[in-house]
Amino acid sequence: MEQIVSMIGWKTAKTIAGLVGVLIFVVFNALILTWAERKVAGHMQRRIGPKEVGPYGLIQPIADALKLLGKEILTPRAVDRPLYFLAPILIFVPVLVSFIVIPFDASLQVKDINVGILVILAFSSLSVLSILMAGWGSNNKYALIGAIRSVAQNIAYEIPLLLALLPVIMMTNSFSLKAIVEAQKGLWFVFYQPLAFCIYFIASVAETNRTPFDLPEAESELVAGYHTEYSGMRFALFFLAEYTNIFIVSAIAVTFFLGGYQGPFLPGIIWFLLKSYLLVFVIMWLRWTFPRVRFDQLLNISWKALIPLAFINLLLTGGLLKL
Amino acid sequence: MVERIKAELGAALKGIEIREASYRERGYHLFFEVASGGLLQVARFFDERSFYLAAEICVDYGEYLELVYIFSNHASLCKVKVALKIDPAKPVAPTISTVFDCACWYEREIREFFGVTFEGHPNMTYLFLHEGIDYYPLRKGQIPISDEDKRSLGSFRPGEGEDTFSINLGPQHPSTHGVLRVVLKMDGEYIEEADPVLGYLHRMHEKMAENRGYLQFLANTGRMDYLGAMAFNLGYVTAVERLCGIAVPDRANYVRVIATELNRLSSHLMWLGAYLADLGALTPFLFVFDDREQINDILEPVTGSRLTYCYFRFGGLYNDVDDAFVAGTKAFVERMKGRFSLYEKLVTGNVIFINRTRGIGVIEKERARKQAVSGPVLRGTGIAMDMRKTEPCAAYGEMDFDVPVGTRGDALDIYHVRIKEMENAVKIIEQALARLPEGPIMTEKAPKKLKPPKGDVYHTVETPRGELGIYIVSDESDTPYRMKWRVPSFSNLMVFPELAKGNLLADAVAILGSLDLVIPEIDR
Repeated sequence: MEQIVSMIGWKTAKTIAGLVGVLIFVVFNALILTWAERKVAGHMQRRIGPKEVGPYGLIQPIADALKLLGKEILTPRAVDRPLYFLAPILIFVPVLVSFIVIPFDASLQVKDINVGILVILAFSSLSVLSILMAGWGSNNKYALIGAIRSVAQNIAYEIPLLLALLPVIMMTNSFSLKAIVEAQKGLWFVFYQPLAFCIYFIASVAETNRTPFDLPEAESELVAGYHTEYSGMRFALFFLAEYTNIFIVSAIAVTFFLGGYQGPFLPGIIWFLLKSYLLVFVIMWLRWTFPRVRFDQLLNISWKALIPLAFINLLLTGGLLKL
Repeated sequence: MVERIKAELGAALKGIEIREASYRERGYHLFFEVASGGLLQVARFFDERSFYLAAEICVDYGEYLELVYIFSNHASLCKVKVALKIDPAKPVAPTISTVFDCACWYEREIREFFGVTFEGHPNMTYLFLHEGIDYYPLRKGQIPISDEDKRSLGSFRPGEGEDTFSINLGPQHPSTHGVLRVVLKMDGEYIEEADPVLGYLHRMHEKMAENRGYLQFLANTGRMDYLGAMAFNLGYVTAVERLCGIAVPDRANYVRVIATELNRLSSHLMWLGAYLADLGALTPFLFVFDDREQINDILEPVTGSRLTYCYFRFGGLYNDVDDAFVAGTKAFVERMKGRFSLYEKLVTGNVIFINRTRGIGVIEKERARKQAVSGPVLRGTGIAMDMRKTEPCAAYGEMDFDVPVGTRGDALDIYHVRIKEMENAVKIIEQALARLPEGPIMTEKAPKKLKPPKGDVYHTVETPRGELGIYIVSDESDTPYRMKWRVPSFSNLMVFPELAKGNLLADAVAILGSLDLVIPEIDR
């Protein structure tokens, strides 16, 4: 072990260990979230949710995963093969990269990059590409419409997302996520920037394609949207990516607005996970209580409401900081 | 009204004898025969007087085919039957789809079932059937379909132009609730044309009716509209009773009202859940099922089934209600009253829901009349037409209830109408329970084997989806000579292509949902 570490250097070893940790966390997180989603949905719909497999149905997601693994992987005849095969793998890359810079605790971070948030935003725009690949490669009209919707939606909502984060960056003069968390030792930024937090949260729900903004996979209109033609483990990868994305946007919200790992009594990581999963719960809550908006309404919300508001907020923040 | 129409008809149509029928026995007030050449004039006559074409029916009498047109109107009770005799060897008739839009589909149906060609009809292609059918199914003799006819009938092809593509909404699609297929010609997300393709659940109930006794067919009625089976039961049973002149005891009439209204509630609840699921809100579905289960639990011990009921019999009921039923219904009514405010809070005020439905799928009064739209969809446009009020059967005449109407005719209005109808259904059930008389549930004079007197009847009832018209021709045998079902979803679906045009795909789903279609009923 020591030999390997000395061979590749301490820093690299730490990064590799971190990546492995991230991978484990991603899978674990998706398992927990699928279980949580079913439980939350169940209780909101006057049901109990899974309860047979394991205590409180906790083993259910593992059973589901095994089932998906065991399924025959169907490939429709007319698909564009390279795109069709690559899309579910590629959708996973930005998800993994984002985890590298998220500070789970004061010392628990794979790598503190001084442009951390830019890394996340840059890579998260890549996920659109794999959705488009999936939609186009599937050679299915529903999938294509879903993919096109997804592109329009993601472009529209990345702008307010970034604009809502900028005031915080201006206040801390740093792109580093750790520095931003450290700057919230006193009062969390959500109290300075309530509007920015709301804009960020709405935009992030749209970014993750969740109800009420789940148009790319709108079941009642597009059957299953861009992943209509995927089955088995390939479908599971899209699923995994979706749940990981939900966690990432919540984690960023916590880092930027809710003080990250800061909190009394409990260790930092516990605070961080508590806050993140609370936001994840809110996102699930939204899904099971709201109908879906229409496509033009969705774009209007972004271009006509969120972006102007975010700009005004940005200007005010800039002005106040100058004073 | 009847007198005035008769006088005006007499003046307008020289040389045609306008005859009066006994409305109580026949279901229509006036009837007369018209020649091929005069049909369009008659259609225009009724169009000018704001009548709508309730049904267009073909009957094969052997020596001649008879086309029957039933005209009715929203303002007052006046039904006119117009008959047109055509030659079975060379069946050709003029189309009236140029005057009444809804005739378009009726004539397509007659074309494929009887082989009648309608001159001037824009689209004489298959509606329910396909090229595999070799004989005209509803003709009394075996009349083969010629290859040429098959080709022209099967000439429908979804068109793809430049910059457009076609997409199949169905037959397996989450929001068509069954096996409806709509071929959409899309320009991006916008719909340029919508063509419903029917027949995936076509079972030819009308032909089955000609091959079995009146009582045997009773079980079929619940299979047409599986959500509003009780109303279809009621319609069929009262139609046959009308034809035979069977009186029904009071208690049976009251129980019929209670059972039908309970079923209407459960049907509307199902619609509420499914509609919101169409709009992306999945939770209400489970909430309404909670209520619906209770209705099923009440009806199950009495009727013997939970979905496709077959509860009424000619002259009464299959089974008397017991104290448990009365107590259970009372408890349910109390519970239901509190649920409406819950739905109000959860759904009606939701801004996303309002934005998705307001101004979507607007049906004007004029279009509703031309397309013969009925039920809550019609009332959403502002026309207060309810068969339970205008032609009350069972004990509906003794009940006090409102006919809620909308103002704009959009999906939101239709939603409100249905919610208010549920509240009124609760009101009706309460009244009927309070006044439920004691006594027999079956008339003593009901014959074991029905052989209705010669003649026809056009009988209508209000199902959860609208006007159900049943046209029965009897030849004094123990099976119906011809039975035609004018089903509400069929007529309501006809309006969809026009509503969808130019709208987004998401709106099409919202419109389709607001029409509350039950596919087995459309296909029959």
